[in-house]
Amino acid sequence: MVVGGLEMATYDSVFNAIGLRDWCDTAKAENDRPMSMAELLAKSKGQSGVETSWWELPFPSLDALNKACAAFPQSRDVTVGVEKSFLSIKDSLRFVLDPITQPLSWFLEWALSLFQATPWWVMIPVLMVIVYFASKSWRLVFFVAACIAFLAFIDHYEHAIQTLAIIFVCAFLCVVFGVPIGIAMSRSDTMQKLTIPILDMLQTLPPFVYLIPLIFLFSVTEPKLYGIAIILYAIVPVIRLTDLGIRLVDTDVIEAADSFGMTDTQKLFGVQVPLALPNIMAGINQTIMMSLAMVVIASLVSAPGLGVLVLRGIRNLELGVGLISGLGIVLLAIILDRVTKAALDRVNAAQKH
Amino acid sequence: MRTFKLAVVGAACGIAMMASGANAASCGKVSITEMNWASSQIITEVAKFLMEQGYGCKVEKVPSATTTAVASLAENGEPDIVTELWLNSTGDAYSKMEKAGKVERLADVLAPGGVEGWWVPEYLVKKHPELKTVKDVLANPKLVGSRFNNCPDGWGCRIVNDNLAKALNMKAAGVEVFNHGSGETLATSIAAAYEDKKPWFGYYWGPTAVLGKYKMVKLSIGDIDKKIHANNSNKGIANPGVSDFPPAPVLTVVTAAFKKREPAIAELMSKVSFDVDTMNGILAWKKEKKASATEAAVRFLTQEKDTWSKWVNPEARKKLSAILK
Repeated sequence: MVVGGLEMATYDSVFNAIGLRDWCDTAKAENDRPMSMAELLAKSKGQSGVETSWWELPFPSLDALNKACAAFPQSRDVTVGVEKSFLSIKDSLRFVLDPITQPLSWFLEWALSLFQATPWWVMIPVLMVIVYFASKSWRLVFFVAACIAFLAFIDHYEHAIQTLAIIFVCAFLCVVFGVPIGIAMSRSDTMQKLTIPILDMLQTLPPFVYLIPLIFLFSVTEPKLYGIAIILYAIVPVIRLTDLGIRLVDTDVIEAADSFGMTDTQKLFGVQVPLALPNIMAGINQTIMMSLAMVVIASLVSAPGLGVLVLRGIRNLELGVGLISGLGIVLLAIILDRVTKAALDRVNAAQKH
Repeated sequence: MRTFKLAVVGAACGIAMMASGANAASCGKVSITEMNWASSQIITEVAKFLMEQGYGCKVEKVPSATTTAVASLAENGEPDIVTELWLNSTGDAYSKMEKAGKVERLADVLAPGGVEGWWVPEYLVKKHPELKTVKDVLANPKLVGSRFNNCPDGWGCRIVNDNLAKALNMKAAGVEVFNHGSGETLATSIAAAYEDKKPWFGYYWGPTAVLGKYKMVKLSIGDIDKKIHANNSNKGIANPGVSDFPPAPVLTVVTAAFKKREPAIAELMSKVSFDVDTMNGILAWKKEKKASATEAAVRFLTQEKDTWSKWVNPEARKKLSAILK
């Protein structure tokens, strides 16, 4: 209860001793300063001169020092400073980033309207054809058809197809950007050293933390807001596994390629990438799974799809709504996982020959 | 201390003082909700301070949200006090409990109640004075950016807004309805529009930090017709009508058991009621100073002594005025 009083006493004497008292008191004038409950209670008891034992010495944090010396910034001023500096560069950042990322909004809008405008009796066969060409397995084709038919039967078709559209666009862009970045990383150790911390950060940073600046940068009504959030989170595995796959290519094979007098480009596209393909495919599989994992969080920034239903379930404690839509997400995940795994198996089988 | 006091009081004066002595001594543990938004946190902090310092209770704050609080009341009869309960977002669950006599409403904690409605920024009205009602917006959708900012799915207002949009034929008028994914993006869209002085049109409610900080003008949707509004609150109705939002009842609710156990606290909580404008002011100050809810509560306690001293009983007033000189 008397913490405020104790701190004041402790560090007050420090500032007095170094002769900074005058400097401190210049800033004391502000009346409207927020007061904490502890300060209020301490003030009423009038305990400013109580000596404190060294055992209870508070850490000299910004707040503790501010209490003794008003000229010191409080820790909340640090967050204010971060906020202000972000807001001051916001306009120039937006000037650069807005046009660059605009195509993402177009892709997402285009995919959403295409997927939704296509009637189900066209969409489901088209998906079945795609699954067949990816996996060459009739069992899988019928499994996928059954899953989608089930979702449609319980009236979740529209939400599922919205989610699918978003995943298609985001996973596709992840591959388009991720594979070249992975290749660049595998060819340069410096590039790898620079990129890995960024990848670590993207994987561990709670998605909400980078959503906040994104919300300020772009209009919240733009689809690219959730597109960027999904891509930043899901691009990591495809980059990592492309890099790994190419680095794992047997040095003997590279030597053989060298002895044939292959150029670097020929080596890359003729030898390294084909041999790394199983790893790259595994990366793509992981990327798709991770973009699906972001669906619920993306719905917090207005992404349509199954995530909206999950959120409704949470908000209203509608247990059934939440569970069914969660099951829908799981079904989509199983479909996408099985199809990409089947494609991966085919690549693996082809390489054995 | 307690027995000492009782003994002294009892011996000295008799019945009249006995009552107040028992009041001060009997307060035990009290649990009170703290909803996950700013105004509720301030109300809870103020109530906690009054109960702890004035009545000697041990107060436990329960972090909560509307639906979880109602569910917890229904299932466990806990927490004792639920405050800033927006009745319009509880559905039937609350009225069922009230009918069963499990809970009792004590007060409208916000007077005259929560404000809901469709708003545009003040600068937009200054620039285009012809925007007075929603009808004017629908006649000139370009002035507001041709977009209506709607509530997220799962909010009570979403259903009402969807029905109103249908009744007003918003789509045909050329206003696109944008469904926000969360309250955060809805609030940010206002902040972002304000920063660039761009048009904005949509649903919001108060008292909130947003309405305290950004000057908004509420547009009349039509006359208030409680019957139509009640009908509009149901999903997928065939005949939505046009009615503005009536003031939303925002309550302090206690369990029946608690009212019996701590009558003095129940009496206190039945008087705790914040004026909406005052609350908007505190919220705006809190946002500007980046203050915490506790600090905002301290500000209210130190600045609005006349308000809260009417809430507490004479004995608590004496104790509290010793702290808040």
